[in-house]
Amino acid sequence: MEVTGAMRLLLIEDEEKVARFIVRGLTAERFAVDVAGAGDIGLELAQAYSYDLIILDLMLPGLSGAEALRRIRRRDGHVPVLVLTARDAVEDKVRHFEIGADDYLTKPFAFAELLVRIKALLRRGAVSRANTLRVADLELDRLSQQVRRAGQRIDLTVKEYALLEYLMSNAGRVLSRTMIIEHVWDQSFDGATNIVDVYVRHLRNKIDEAHERKLIRTARGVGYAISEDDE
Amino acid sequence: MMNTRSIRFRLTVWYAGLLAGLLLLFGGSTWFGLAHYLNRSLGESLAKQAQQIGENFLLDAQTSGESYVIEEINEHYSPEQNDHFVRVTRADGSTLYVSGPPISKGFDPARVPAAPLSSGRAATRGEHLSGAGELLIYSLPFTARDGSRFMIETGVSYESTENTLRGLLLTLAVGLPVVIAVAVMGGYWIMRHALRPLDEIASGAERITSRNMSERLPVGRSGDEIERLSLALNRMIARLEESFQYIRRFTADASHELRTPLTVLRGELEAIAQRPRLDDEVRDTVGSSLEETERLARIVESLLAISRLDAGEAQMECVRFDLAELAAATTEQMRLLAEDKRIRLECQASGQVEITGDRARLKQVVVNLVDNAIKYTPEGGAVGVVVSAEDGRAVMLVEDNGAGVPADALPHLFERFYRVDKARSRQMGGAGLGLAIVKSIVAAHDGQVEVESAEGKGSRFRVELPLLKDN
Repeated sequence: MEVTGAMRLLLIEDEEKVARFIVRGLTAERFAVDVAGAGDIGLELAQAYSYDLIILDLMLPGLSGAEALRRIRRRDGHVPVLVLTARDAVEDKVRHFEIGADDYLTKPFAFAELLVRIKALLRRGAVSRANTLRVADLELDRLSQQVRRAGQRIDLTVKEYALLEYLMSNAGRVLSRTMIIEHVWDQSFDGATNIVDVYVRHLRNKIDEAHERKLIRTARGVGYAISEDDE
Repeated sequence: MMNTRSIRFRLTVWYAGLLAGLLLLFGGSTWFGLAHYLNRSLGESLAKQAQQIGENFLLDAQTSGESYVIEEINEHYSPEQNDHFVRVTRADGSTLYVSGPPISKGFDPARVPAAPLSSGRAATRGEHLSGAGELLIYSLPFTARDGSRFMIETGVSYESTENTLRGLLLTLAVGLPVVIAVAVMGGYWIMRHALRPLDEIASGAERITSRNMSERLPVGRSGDEIERLSLALNRMIARLEESFQYIRRFTADASHELRTPLTVLRGELEAIAQRPRLDDEVRDTVGSSLEETERLARIVESLLAISRLDAGEAQMECVRFDLAELAAATTEQMRLLAEDKRIRLECQASGQVEITGDRARLKQVVVNLVDNAIKYTPEGGAVGVVVSAEDGRAVMLVEDNGAGVPADALPHLFERFYRVDKARSRQMGGAGLGLAIVKSIVAAHDGQVEVESAEGKGSRFRVELPLLKDN
């Protein structure tokens, strides 16, 4: 993909264990990550070095996350900041953007979602939305909204198309049910527990049923992914 | 219709009854007293008259002559003009004088029976004359200076006394009900005035729910029992508020504190799940743990959402939109869920039903109710959503012909973590919070949600919201 491993991120998070798994995961994705366990230390690091992206927890000792963000913004208006919060997402949505966050994520989140959002923020400004998405012999044309597998046209409903497009634009990555609901439907559907499973099953029937090679795969407890390689 | 059990009504009836009783007693004794007094004074004046006739004219009847006596009586008393009866009888029973018929023609003096001479004493008697009312007659035996004896009788009709008493009775009969009616109305008014603070307290208490517990009842600085009552009630509300706040704070804090460990748990488990070449059994265990973590996260999320809504702390969007359109669009998006179980899903609306509120949250209401209906309706069933406007309220019905809810479970359906069929619903993956969220969201919009159900026939959820007042 277009995001390379040379990127350097700053994680300001006081919960050691949360910091540990984020660092481990991001390192595996070939990012360089610095960690600050308190707001004032994070601010110092942010001012001393030039980071490609900052991940900021809002509840911090030393200096509150909101205050740290305000000071970071005073010096540098461009570095993307992703806010982590233990508070209700919908409630503080407006406030997060007001104090200068570029995006936010509510705990507990799926690591896949953090990754997707980080990559989206890093890509920003240089969006290259390919008109055609390809996974093996499956082809999705964003302009004509047509889907073909092995040259055969497949008819999809609006939601099935949206679901497939979301999976294919994140090909090879497991997407959680929450991510899929929020992207393809909206947060109001959180209560409809099995809506994602039902749609994925229908999509599978249309995409994979007639073919030897299955593309859509289930990661139990995590979510769904579409990828070329078999497990 | 008047409330016959209200203090106002009961007190008014009580004292109106008491007042009527006392007035009747008073009227009765007045009547009897007056009758007695009138009879006595009538008797006394007759006695005086007889005495005077005797002493002035009869004492020397022998010397002055009987015709003189007749003239004098006529001149001094003119009984015919005064409606009086006068008769003087000699000892042998012959009449010396008798007055003529009175001008009122109330009685005929000639027909008045003679006084019984047996007793030699003065006496009062009533004489009933046929067709001419009753006469009160005083008879006085009199002995003249020369020893000859006479019987002097004076009498008067009862009519005037009876007229006076009848007048009194009439006054009482008309006056008493009027006085009682005025007293009742006045008393009712005073009572209403005095009890109005109680009505205010009642309606004030009615307004206070778990969502506006910081409000207090109005306290009139009257220093009376009502002020004490409202102060006592206010102190009780304060104590309730405190414990409510404690519970809310606890739920919010607990949900908050659970999030960080959940984040760690989920992150670590996902890291394991992502490892290549993982033993199948381990992958399965990790996946199952992740599923449970997600469910836990969902519960925490829902609890926090409910406690915020109930506390009135949730930031609510307030936009104007068409509930019918929202229900139709949402139902459409859930169609596949229904088709998957071969359930017929329909949404009907009669025109626009405009309301104001938090669109995303109300959409969640539709989603949760429809999802719930689909879950508990067997394959081949039907689920219907109907949106309409009724009497200034926006009404949304979500009906199904599924399993229904047992009657004893109905009152608990909107409680947190309530499950009708424990084993079955857990299998379906719910946390027992979907309907609790529905109730909290609807309540936050000043609406209400009800359910009616017949076991084996289906359920009907009814959501009522305030309709947008014309534009």
